[in-house]
Amino acid sequence: MKRSFGEKLFTVINTIILVLLCVVSVYPYLNQLALSFNDGMDAISGGITIFPREFTLENYRTVFIDPNFLAAARVSVIRVILATILGLLVTYSAAYGLTRRGLPYRKQLTLFLMLPSYIPVGTIPTYINMRNLGLINNFWVYILPGLFAFYNMVIIRSYLQELPPEMEESAKIDGANDFTIMFRIIFPMSLPVIACVALWISVGAWNDWTTTLTYVTDRELHTLQYLMMRLVKEAELANSMSMQQTMSKGAEVKAKVTGDTVKAATLIVTTIPILCVYPFLQKYFIKGINLGAVKG
Amino acid sequence: MEKTMEQTLVNEKKRTKFKEIKKYKGAYIMILPAIISAIIFSYLPMYGIIMAFKNFDVKLGIWGSPWAANHGFEHFMAIFENPEMFKAVKNTIWFGLVILFGGYPFPIILALMFNEIRSKWFKKTAQTIAYFPHFLSWIAVIGLVYTFLAKEGPFNQLMVSLFPSWEPVNPLMKSEYFLEIMYISHLWKNVGYSSVVFLAAITGVDPGLYEAASIDGCGKLKQVWHITLPSIKPTMVIVLIMSLGGLINVNFEQVYGLQNAFTQLDNEVIGTLVYRQGIMGGKYSPTTAFGLFQGVVSLILVTTANWVSKKVTDQSIW
Repeated sequence: MKRSFGEKLFTVINTIILVLLCVVSVYPYLNQLALSFNDGMDAISGGITIFPREFTLENYRTVFIDPNFLAAARVSVIRVILATILGLLVTYSAAYGLTRRGLPYRKQLTLFLMLPSYIPVGTIPTYINMRNLGLINNFWVYILPGLFAFYNMVIIRSYLQELPPEMEESAKIDGANDFTIMFRIIFPMSLPVIACVALWISVGAWNDWTTTLTYVTDRELHTLQYLMMRLVKEAELANSMSMQQTMSKGAEVKAKVTGDTVKAATLIVTTIPILCVYPFLQKYFIKGINLGAVKG
Repeated sequence: MEKTMEQTLVNEKKRTKFKEIKKYKGAYIMILPAIISAIIFSYLPMYGIIMAFKNFDVKLGIWGSPWAANHGFEHFMAIFENPEMFKAVKNTIWFGLVILFGGYPFPIILALMFNEIRSKWFKKTAQTIAYFPHFLSWIAVIGLVYTFLAKEGPFNQLMVSLFPSWEPVNPLMKSEYFLEIMYISHLWKNVGYSSVVFLAAITGVDPGLYEAASIDGCGKLKQVWHITLPSIKPTMVIVLIMSLGGLINVNFEQVYGLQNAFTQLDNEVIGTLVYRQGIMGGKYSPTTAFGLFQGVVSLILVTTANWVSKKVTDQSIW
């Protein structure tokens, strides 16, 4: 089919706009990447694009020897691992339990789990509750409150409902109990949806910093995202981090790092894990969205 | 006689029900952790809502604290009398309006544009890049914004090269640009990802419709207007309903992250004020009331929109 001049023109303009959008979407990140590899003193004059002008690894060295950074990285990693494993366990087993055919009181139980999503409790009552539970300045505040997520359960449940029932039934005849069936038969069959929800939980846990802001003052429990928040919002903090590095190197070495370049290096290190799982994220998140859209 | 028959029947029924439940013991044990989790972290804090109607004193506990004045509604009336709180309400609604209606059309337009791309490779690459910012945390995005808008940063560089008389300035330090920065950073982070739902809906449109239209001599624009948009109307309506709660629920992470010593006072919203006065300042009762007010209004907005939409377009989320 021949295309008219107008259509060709449209295609060209459409492509140009989308290319521009792509440039706008990645430029700030690439700029930050260049800054993180650039000499701090040199960067003060500005003008850095997407390539470093005076290449150095000094910024990253500063970040990786900072004890606060290392402690925060440890908390973040442990938190993500525990939150993902335990969260999946609770959410998945609830989803499986609720898909059992003929389960008495299924409706009531589902309603009980769903209702809280519609009741606006608010920040302060939640905070007081955490305090009564002894979760202020407690590592478990990162794990326990998020163990069960209704939306994730709905996603898993709708996947389980599509599975063929024969396998389950034959296992039952062989005398397997509920838990064996869940872990040995249903679990391996539902790996796609588990990967999706696992990514979902872990990215959420990795990116979260308001939990620390609200419930944690203890320095030892700060996370990477929280550290970055302080670096972004408190210029003095980043400056003092770079000062320490300069001082430890002795007077003869010129200041190679500044608050801005150290901040850039921290931001890159903090976002690298997201970048690494991004290909999977894109695949599964979008699947999840579409599933969510269908199931409403 | 009849009565005992009835009794045994009831007993029998009870027993079978009990047997049923026992048969599903495993399933109940599997659901139990979720139930406990919901009780402790979702139902238990509901009790704390009472604080909104009291003058909460930590030493007296929630129940022991005295009731607030004006039949317990003192703190709700304060929302409209206290200038700081009232300003936060106004800011929240204004920011919410701009972000909701100013941001709503773009993901739809973007989805339409993606849909017109014929090259599979280009489409996939462009999508991959456009969705990327969504997966960064808000604070990472704000870190990028700070670098981008710095006095020597890319923004001022660009402005100087476009307008030689441009005086480099950091807009983050000027309270009057706060909303613009919020709006643009919101679009930057979310526009690509928000288009996914619409793109999925567009892909689902029957291609036969387009063929018929093009035989009838309908151009591209007319096809979009008469076929694509009406076909994805359900998705458009549902997304709109779900985001209406955002009219009084501005993203806390974004506002808190962007605020600094120069811009904080003028740009306080409900969420940030609750954090500062409640969690930092210990004024628990007034801030509980403030948060409850926000939550209830948000719920009313979504329910009303849902109801209206059900009547008018037959689309609803419940």
